Amino acid sequence: MAQITSASVVKENTKTNKKSLKTRIYEYRYFYLMFFPVFLAFLVFHYIPMVGISIAFFDWGLFGINEFVGFDNFATLFQSTAFIRAFGNTLTISVANLILNMICTVGLALLIDELTGLNFKKLTQTVIYMPHFLSWVVVASVFALILSPQDGMVNKVIELFGGKPIYFLADTNWWTPIWLFISRWKDTGWGTIIIIAALSGVDPSMHEAAVIDGATRLQRVLRITLPTIKNTILVVFVLELAKVLNLFDSIWVFQNAMVLDKADVLQTYVYRVGVEGSDYGLATAAGLFKSVIAVILVLGTNKISKKVNGEGII
Amino acid sequence: MNEKFSFKKGHRSRAIFLICAYSFLVIFMCGMLIPILKVFVDSVDPSASGVMRIWPEKFDIGAYTQILGTEGLYRPFLVSLGTTIVGTIVGLLLTTLAAYVIIQKDMPGNRLFVNMILFTMLFSGGLIPTYLTVSYLGLMNNYIAVIVPVTLTAYNIILMKSFFQTIPSALYEAAKLDGCSPIGIFWRIVLPLSKPALASIGLFIAVAMWNDFMHFQLYIQDPMLKNFQLKVRELVLNDAAVGTSLSTVNGDMLKSAVIIVVMAPFLMVYPFIQKYFQKGVTIGGVKE
Repeated sequence: MAQITSASVVKENTKTNKKSLKTRIYEYRYFYLMFFPVFLAFLVFHYIPMVGISIAFFDWGLFGINEFVGFDNFATLFQSTAFIRAFGNTLTISVANLILNMICTVGLALLIDELTGLNFKKLTQTVIYMPHFLSWVVVASVFALILSPQDGMVNKVIELFGGKPIYFLADTNWWTPIWLFISRWKDTGWGTIIIIAALSGVDPSMHEAAVIDGATRLQRVLRITLPTIKNTILVVFVLELAKVLNLFDSIWVFQNAMVLDKADVLQTYVYRVGVEGSDYGLATAAGLFKSVIAVILVLGTNKISKKVNGEGII
Repeated sequence: MNEKFSFKKGHRSRAIFLICAYSFLVIFMCGMLIPILKVFVDSVDPSASGVMRIWPEKFDIGAYTQILGTEGLYRPFLVSLGTTIVGTIVGLLLTTLAAYVIIQKDMPGNRLFVNMILFTMLFSGGLIPTYLTVSYLGLMNNYIAVIVPVTLTAYNIILMKSFFQTIPSALYEAAKLDGCSPIGIFWRIVLPLSKPALASIGLFIAVAMWNDFMHFQLYIQDPMLKNFQLKVRELVLNDAAVGTSLSTVNGDMLKSAVIIVVMAPFLMVYPFIQKYFQKGVTIGGVKE
């Protein structure tokens, strides 16, 4: 099979190589025309900004770029307590969120997969996917009302049991756990889609054989189901890993002056220093630092996956 | 595994497990629905706020009529609606064009275009350089700066591409032999055959556009041009006064009502379109 395809590729290559590059370009002229708007969009919103990264190495005065300062902006960053704080918070929130995400998603998917009632299964899936489609503004607003210390439903319950109302979203001890909870509320259901799709690919005859051999249900889940969907879990993990340092809008809507100590992350720091404070050089340096670490994380995981599984994800 | 549900010996632990699983999922679903239901009840019942009650005792639509009658409130809603409609059309058009071009394996420069799109998934210029680029190009307060980055993403192009690749290439070649131009093939063959993918990806784009607030926050500075998401944020999270001083309903009711209004268009159609979202993820989401 592989031989046939490679042979046809070779044949195709020699066929196209006969024509000169010019004729081939002329043949595809309409395609270049069709790609032009897309090209322009990627240029403006992705590639010109990449050139703009260079301002991380300049001092940004009142009248635009003043002078090349090398890595001075980075030196300033690593001495700034606000940046270190934002970096620490990003790591804490990201790692906790990633771990909770994997556990909750796989657990919930396995649970849904065990259900026998088809209608109930459909209803469950419809309901649990829903919060994913609400914007972070809406989610933050709904929870701000429910967790409000004056009229919020949750605090009314606490008062009913004789407790004191807690201002969850403005208390540094409560903010991180509450954010992690809300993040799971929003996205756990949605995350199960891919896992459930992978679970439907598990060969039932393997389970039947295991039942005959006297394996318990838990043993079957651990020895058959999980190893089969291992690759899918890894793909999801890398996709989530690519997102972790980019925490931005989800955090931004929950921020207030009282909890900045726990709630400031790299992207919101960049926003405050750059957009609000107009210190473009410093903010770009912080952004670049974040992007580089994100790339290293993804490429590193891909490499590990290649070693472990024999194939990469990207 | 079709096992009978019974409490007979040997099935007992399975039955207990199933009861626990079903109860857990019912509680889980209530956890998703009650917060939204509570906000709805608060929006129509002035006495419900601050009380643990998830059914309305009164039905007062005062907050909703106020939204309809206040320009500062209905205008952002119209902005959201307009940008979502235009954005979905523009986004779908650009996404399909990009996907159609990158499946042309023999086109000179094809690899370059594919890599140009894929690379943006891995690395980006970052917030500030993008912000400055938009500002220098004079795109501030221009909806282009919001619509294009939100609706044209590498991820959607890849999804669309994997769908296009399922169309048998014999169809293209037959049309080509019959003298159909590439644009004709795109319009008459590729698009009509891709209706399911257009529906799924179109819905993803529409939701992303409707839900966007970060791009509006960054690039749209004119308060008259802001969208409804930002209005909700301003009203509920920043606790701003309503545009008019003649607020006839209590604050919590109005806050709840704007949240319901921003969710309503989506929630009303969601049960009917849910299957498209699920399909959209599984088109190219699972690597075989």
